[in-house]
Amino acid sequence: METKQDRQLNEKESLELIARMIQNTKQKMEEGRGTMFLIWGYATVIVTMIVWGTVLYTQNFTWQFLWFLLPISGSIATLIYKKQEDKKPRVTTYIDRIIGYVWTVSGITGFLLSMVSIFVYTFPILFIIILIMGIGTTLTGLIINFRPLVISGAISLLCSVLLSFLNWKLQLPLFSLIFIFMMIIPGHYLNYKAGKAHV
Amino acid sequence: MFKELDPLFLSELRLAVMSILISVEEADFVYLKEKTNATSGNLSVQIDKLQQAGYIDIRKTFKGKRPQTICKITFQGIGAFEKYIEALKSYINL
Repeated sequence: METKQDRQLNEKESLELIARMIQNTKQKMEEGRGTMFLIWGYATVIVTMIVWGTVLYTQNFTWQFLWFLLPISGSIATLIYKKQEDKKPRVTTYIDRIIGYVWTVSGITGFLLSMVSIFVYTFPILFIIILIMGIGTTLTGLIINFRPLVISGAISLLCSVLLSFLNWKLQLPLFSLIFIFMMIIPGHYLNYKAGKAHV
Repeated sequence: MFKELDPLFLSELRLAVMSILISVEEADFVYLKEKTNATSGNLSVQIDKLQQAGYIDIRKTFKGKRPQTICKITFQGIGAFEKYIEALKSYINL
């Protein structure tokens, strides 16, 4: 686009400019959206497999406290990512804000329920975490109109029921698999699509 | 009958800024400069005019140690932009 000086436009040029600017902003909105799914998806899968491996090997359930690596590693990676994003020109859209709310509420709910299940009384927390994250993923897909996220979120919600029928040795690998399907694969696909839109 | 066009939107740069701000919640000066390919001086003058008209709010903050100017469209700006689009339609028979 040529450098804009204080030029006056005719009616047709005005409408063309408005359409072009709105289209430009729309493309920007999709950039990097998959990265948060990748950060939390990979953090969940890696920590789950560490917990599963150590508990299975040692037969000592105290190692379950390794779950705390998940909020720590995910939060550190998120902070690093946000700091990098801060270097770029800043734009906030209504969609960004709504998605932010969805994940803040989902994240806080998931964290509080996990704390209750660790320190207060036991209940099927993995099933509930998949339900909460599945709702967050499906809602995000619906808000940004990205069908792979809607499908992966909805199927994960259904798969969460399967967890109830398994013992912990099988529950944790299935939990990881669901996260790969729910967050990692759509996250990579979302970033790939966003990258393609900017070529 | 032709409707009167808001003179503030007759400038290419001011219209570009308003078109961006109508579709986002807020954007910083660097983003607007990047999207409009304007010079800093010209952009600064035009966003000041839009602010004086009450069409946008400007908030000055800091990003780390660097100053940051964040622009956001106001309700008055949204109304004026919609009115401008309606007026444009009357000119090109939409």
